[in-house]
Amino acid sequence: MSKPTDLVQGTLDLLILKTIALEPMHGWAIAQRIRRVSNNVLQVNQGALYPALHRLEQQAWIQSKWGESENHRRAKYYSLTKAGQKYLQAEESNWERLSSAIGLVLKTV
Amino acid sequence: MRRVRNISNWVCSLFRRNTVDQELSAELGFHIERQIEENRAAGMTEKEARRAALSEFGGVEQVKEGCRDTYRRNYLENLVKDIRYGLRMLQKSPSFTFFAVAVLALGIAANSAIFSIADNVLVRPLPYRDPDRLVMVWEDASAYGFPKDTPAPGNFADWRSRNQVFEDVAAISNASLNLTGSGNPEDLLGKWATANLFSVLGVIPALGRDFLPEDDIPGAPHVAILSQGLWLRRFGGDPQIIGKEISLNYEKYMVIGVMQHGMQFPDRETELWVPSRFTTQQLTNHGNHFLRVIARLKPAISLKTANVNLAAIASELEKENPDSNAKVGAFAVPLREELLGDVRPAILMLVGAVCFVLLIACANVANLLLSRATGRRRELAMRLALGATRGRVIQQMLTESILLSLFAGATGLLLSVWGTKFMATLIPAGLAPMTGTGVDGRVLLFTLVVSASTGILFGIIPASRVSQFQLTFSLKQGGGQSGVGSGGHRLRDGLVVSEVALAIVLLAGAALLIRSLENLYHLDPGFRADHVLVMRTPLPRQKYEAFAPRVAFYDQVLARVESLPGIVAAGYTTWVPLTNTGGATGITIEGKPEPAPGNILIPNTRIVSLHYMKTLRMKLIEGRAIEEGDAAGKLPVALVNQTMAKNYWLEENPIGKQFKVGAYKEKAPWITVIGIVGDVHQAGLDVPARAEMYLPYQQQDFGYEPEYLAVRTAGDPMALAELVRQQIWSVDKEQPVAGVMPLEDLVDDNLASRRMQAALLSGFAALALLLVTLGIYAVLSFAVTQRTQEIGVRVALGAQPRDILRMIFAQGFKLFLTGAAIGLAASLALSRALVHLLFGVSAYDPASFAGVAILLAAVALLACYLPARRAMRVDPLVALRYE
Repeated sequence: MSKPTDLVQGTLDLLILKTIALEPMHGWAIAQRIRRVSNNVLQVNQGALYPALHRLEQQAWIQSKWGESENHRRAKYYSLTKAGQKYLQAEESNWERLSSAIGLVLKTV
Repeated sequence: MRRVRNISNWVCSLFRRNTVDQELSAELGFHIERQIEENRAAGMTEKEARRAALSEFGGVEQVKEGCRDTYRRNYLENLVKDIRYGLRMLQKSPSFTFFAVAVLALGIAANSAIFSIADNVLVRPLPYRDPDRLVMVWEDASAYGFPKDTPAPGNFADWRSRNQVFEDVAAISNASLNLTGSGNPEDLLGKWATANLFSVLGVIPALGRDFLPEDDIPGAPHVAILSQGLWLRRFGGDPQIIGKEISLNYEKYMVIGVMQHGMQFPDRETELWVPSRFTTQQLTNHGNHFLRVIARLKPAISLKTANVNLAAIASELEKENPDSNAKVGAFAVPLREELLGDVRPAILMLVGAVCFVLLIACANVANLLLSRATGRRRELAMRLALGATRGRVIQQMLTESILLSLFAGATGLLLSVWGTKFMATLIPAGLAPMTGTGVDGRVLLFTLVVSASTGILFGIIPASRVSQFQLTFSLKQGGGQSGVGSGGHRLRDGLVVSEVALAIVLLAGAALLIRSLENLYHLDPGFRADHVLVMRTPLPRQKYEAFAPRVAFYDQVLARVESLPGIVAAGYTTWVPLTNTGGATGITIEGKPEPAPGNILIPNTRIVSLHYMKTLRMKLIEGRAIEEGDAAGKLPVALVNQTMAKNYWLEENPIGKQFKVGAYKEKAPWITVIGIVGDVHQAGLDVPARAEMYLPYQQQDFGYEPEYLAVRTAGDPMALAELVRQQIWSVDKEQPVAGVMPLEDLVDDNLASRRMQAALLSGFAALALLLVTLGIYAVLSFAVTQRTQEIGVRVALGAQPRDILRMIFAQGFKLFLTGAAIGLAASLALSRALVHLLFGVSAYDPASFAGVAILLAAVALLACYLPARRAMRVDPLVALRYE
């Protein structure tokens, strides 16, 4: 896998983790939320979203549970595990460091 | 990649109950439904909403595949991680690792070695074309005491021409061929063979050509086909050998072929084949039984059909030749069965034994892992709490145990290379020799499979225990030592009980085999083998055509040898014990009605010299021995053995009675019985003696020639071998001397297979014993550690060291007794399988079983003692603070 994809993947992971940090959410809602919150800038493709969810689950950052959705259907809800919370904190501060660093570089030049 | 997918699917389905795919479909289905709903809310029609949702989603299958891929990648990553982690864990506790690997390696080595033997002997096809179609054909002369008799040439010829069931029939017989010319004269073991032998077997020579029918007629030029072994050994693998002449028995033979490597019919001792060149006269002789007959079944003809046909031909022959063929049947035996002999039960017994050893080793290591898993409880609980699935934890633990077993497998394979060589004696002479190291692809694969399944077998119990324990409970117990549920105890106890039971079965089997062997060694074979040197001096027919020169040769050799210092006695015989199961002649007893055809008396015939009985220390029961006075021209005399006296003269005393060789009408002189000697076990130590007579060689030419010289020495028999040989050569400097060995070696060889069986089973049983001791010790010392606090309380409350001791012993012996009871019951049930391997001991021999139980009890006592002593010394103050 090439570098840029890694970056995107890592970023998607971060976005997912952050999104479900508030409350357990199903896949569709996660995608919707990311889009809405980013003012339609970040459109999460299903083909990336679901594999990411499953991978995160296997890495034990998130866990899933079947529950009833807002439209009364059975849906799979994802929530953060304790390990996931710690991981999210660490990744968030990483991201902030990184983006401010990039910002600094972009501004100074 | 396909393999990985299979494994990962398997793992997923195993641990996630095969719902992964269904859940995935449901999850994605929900997403699309939700999107459709959203689209409808935005004002689309049902149809538009659906189409928009689906096109936005993209390929459902691709998404699914993307998800599944994460499992696979995850599996591989986990595997690598688990292996690294496992290696680290094993490294961290080197003594555990060493012990577990050693225990398993021994178990696996035993299995690999026995497998390679069993594979060679029982499974691998014989090196012939369609070997399953090959049969050996025998005469059934049960009426004369030879249920499986070597066929006469006449019968062979008639079977060959009259049968409707065989493609072809070939015959061989023993040939003693004296090779002279370049190098030392050498007595080669060859076979006279009919020209079709190799075509019946379906093999072709590696060099040169096969026999042709015209090689196999009397008067044809002599030809020979060499075995690969002889060609390499004696002729240095000369590629130009074809067409060269060699001298065999003072006649020129042209080498026409060299056989392929591994082609060794009928056994690995055979060094060359020469055409039988039967005369018409020989081919109509039905009374001289010395052939071995091999035939190839026609396609679609069963063994049963063949036997029906053979029986029909035999009864025709019975009518045509009543004198020779009365009550003589014929039957075929599959070649493999024939070559295998009686090794099959022994090998199957050993296969069973090594499985038991491996099971015990597994139980032992499982036990260790259980104790370790208990120690690692906190680590595992932590991992579970941090979100690892139980499946993941089990997978990780299994990886560790499989790693262990693979290390053990590799070590075991090395051990088995050595073991296989050691065990090669178990392979009958007619079957493939152990070539090279004995480790090939099949053994390798077998070892790999056994190792991996061993790893799963002993790993699965401790690993699955993990998935049962209560998370909160374990965490709360923290670093505590005493946190073992009763379930853990029960499992470990169960493992020890089964170890004890398995070990009892092995020990009982070994005890029975050892007792059999002991019985055989203590059995009186009718002769004393110690301090006796034997050698063969087959007289070449061409040179010793007449009777007188032969007698002169024996007389001179014996006189010279007996005059040597250090020689107690020397004697000639046709066959020393254990070298020939047959060698019999039909006789007629004077004063009794001529027996009907089929009731002819055929005692074993041994043509001997004056001091032969003395040399072998045979017992004279009654009458007198052969004496100087029983010379040529005097009254012909004979000694008979007890069986012959009892069976042929019944209540009468045979001494002074007369018999003659052949039928009444024959001109042969009457022979007078002068004494009765003790029975000698000619055919094998475990085979009862037949009727047998001893005739002095100088009195008449019986057609059998003395060939074996036996010499009783005062000291080491082999030390005199050279001197004796010199004496023979001083009589005839061209006389080949072969098979120089102590008679004791023949006795040992006769028991070699049994000795090997007993040694191996004992070895395995000893291993089992050791493992069980360690098993009991491990469980008890673990229990003592676990119960330290309890013991402390007891001591604080006034329990005496004796009480503590009793408590620990009771725990240990409860396990031992349960296991012993199960094991004894099992071995009583299983020892029936050993019946064929036993001699003079019942399969239910109470002494053996009691001995085994006592031995194991003693060992259990020892295993209990050390932990118990530790328990006794528990200081209540320390113990109470132990947590």
